[in-house]
Amino acid sequence: MKIVVVFKWARNPLDARVSADAAISWPGVKLAASDDDPAAMEIAAALAAGDEVVGLTIGDGDTAWAAARGAARTVVVTDAPGETDSAATGAALAAAVRRMTGVGAVLIGDSAWDYAVVSALAGRLGWPAVAGVTAACPERGELRVTRRLGAATQALSAAGPVVLAVTANRAEKNVPGMKEVLAARKKPVEKITAADLNTASRYQVQTQGVRFPDTPPARIIDGGDPPTACEQLIAALRTDGVI
Amino acid sequence: MDTTVTAEVDFDVIVAGAGIAGSVTAYRLALHGHSVLLVERGPSPGSKNLSGGVFYCRVMEEAMPGFLLSAPIERRITRNCLSFLSESSFVNLDYADDRLAQSVTAVSVLRAKLDEWLAAQCEEAGVVLMPGVRVDALVTEDGRVTGIRAGGDELRAHVVVAADGVNSLLCRQAGVRGPEPLKHLAVGVKSVIGLPRRVIEERFNLTGDSGAAYAIVGDCTKDLGGGGFLYTNRESLSVGVVLRLDDLARSGESSAELHDRFLTHPVMEAFLRDGELLEYGCHLVAEGGLAMAHDLTRPGLVVVGDAAGLTLNTGFTVRGMDLAAGSALAAAGVVDAALKRGDYSQEALDAYPRELDKIFVGKDMRTFRRAPLFLENPRMYGDYGRLLSDIMYGVYNLDTTPRRHLAAGAGDALKNSPLALLPTIRDALAGVRAL
Repeated sequence: MKIVVVFKWARNPLDARVSADAAISWPGVKLAASDDDPAAMEIAAALAAGDEVVGLTIGDGDTAWAAARGAARTVVVTDAPGETDSAATGAALAAAVRRMTGVGAVLIGDSAWDYAVVSALAGRLGWPAVAGVTAACPERGELRVTRRLGAATQALSAAGPVVLAVTANRAEKNVPGMKEVLAARKKPVEKITAADLNTASRYQVQTQGVRFPDTPPARIIDGGDPPTACEQLIAALRTDGVI
Repeated sequence: MDTTVTAEVDFDVIVAGAGIAGSVTAYRLALHGHSVLLVERGPSPGSKNLSGGVFYCRVMEEAMPGFLLSAPIERRITRNCLSFLSESSFVNLDYADDRLAQSVTAVSVLRAKLDEWLAAQCEEAGVVLMPGVRVDALVTEDGRVTGIRAGGDELRAHVVVAADGVNSLLCRQAGVRGPEPLKHLAVGVKSVIGLPRRVIEERFNLTGDSGAAYAIVGDCTKDLGGGGFLYTNRESLSVGVVLRLDDLARSGESSAELHDRFLTHPVMEAFLRDGELLEYGCHLVAEGGLAMAHDLTRPGLVVVGDAAGLTLNTGFTVRGMDLAAGSALAAAGVVDAALKRGDYSQEALDAYPRELDKIFVGKDMRTFRRAPLFLENPRMYGDYGRLLSDIMYGVYNLDTTPRRHLAAGAGDALKNSPLALLPTIRDALAGVRAL
């Protein structure tokens, strides 16, 4: 069955620059594949069982990422909103999936970078969604899905098209080599816009500002005289209710 | 030896390293119609870079016409200051000249932006750019470099260009050079401090896109070999220290602490006040000048930029980027000719060092060959700065005692300093010859 893998749909929060006034900027930072994306790609290849795997992504960054890992082609929604409005990102991804026919499952990294996109995508598609997925395989015309449930794992079966949000439990094993990356760049990439998908909507969510959590000012205890410093430290910890 | 490569290649040329040298080489060769792969170890070009930031960029007009108009340059340097800093004094040779604004030979750049832009020009010219690839080894056959190996994959090319920086592992592996002695190397520790444009222009007496560059010696390194620098960008300052590794190792000082000490010096603090730290990092810097020069070719291999040891510290100007671009231009010309003839032998590629000797790169390396030895002189970093400030103090400290002529005052200051007259004269002569 045809499988769509959504990859590289968020920026790595560790790449954000947070300035002294808490303003967040992303100087030169592109959208990046999350730690969960390779696991989603691996499961996609297993589910497709030889059928087509299509990579789906948004915005900037490396469009050949999925192709280097086995996707036959890639669709990019070049102007899909990818920052503040998770519902809008999910809507653009869902619309792009709907343009394709015969899709049996959409796989997406269950990334902590923005949980809400996964729900928005499944909701817009109107498909069942399973999160925390660690494995999936086809079984008698259905999908057998394993997901993490607390410390245990749960086996599920799913019929019909489904959204699977995949959680990686290890780092990527077979990172593509130069030749695979070069070959991937020759695979077809279809660039579409939100207008093509009729999802170009007014942005309803806009950042008005960010601020750091309130924290009491740091107090520096002079350690010149250790016994006094210890007393001061204990007194301060008592005052703050720590001990 | 058979000098033609008949086996299939993946690219005509593979360039390792997407800094200035690598990108310019790749760009020029792509313009000549060759297939070029440019591999970069960092996740994106510029991400591994930490240059102090003044680019003597005239050469780029030849390498990439229109560079000044379209490249992401920060400011055009029109004020150059050579400064001697002591704990309590700051003596400056401050040179500002409108002619520098007209001729635009030096600009401040932030390499993260510049390198990304250069790589984008390469891709537009047809270069295949591959970031996130660390070249593990050169592939050699019958004594000839025929490609690169990375992550278990091999890619073949007629010529490999090593542009992998001051620590060039490819050069070491190819036996082009051994590890550098510590005295040829320095560590640069740099901060980029964000400040509003208006504040920078007020503090440095600048207008429009004009900029200032300070080269500072003395207290900034606690008298160790090396110096401090301060460059104005559009909305930030690049500031930090460069410390010669042999001196640093001997002293037991910490480079990070010396950097912090420099930035909190009252003189520097006034420049940086209320700024916001945007970037901080350190990088190895080549300082050996011509003494670091080594072979630049092997059959199928040419070496450019920092990897080729092409850096110059004259005390007034610290140069690397312009030499990188110059070497790239020369290399691209020679590799283009080699590709057209199908001859990648040592003899064919040896036209490259000969070409370097003909242009400013080789000529300047020779002209300033004595500079590193002169700058090794420890008196440069402590006593002379203090002597200078004592002389100036004598001139300006009108405390109602009768003044003496400058020469006599200077003589007094010299007498009171730990410096002796003869070595001082010798140093002055050596300086004139070296610089």
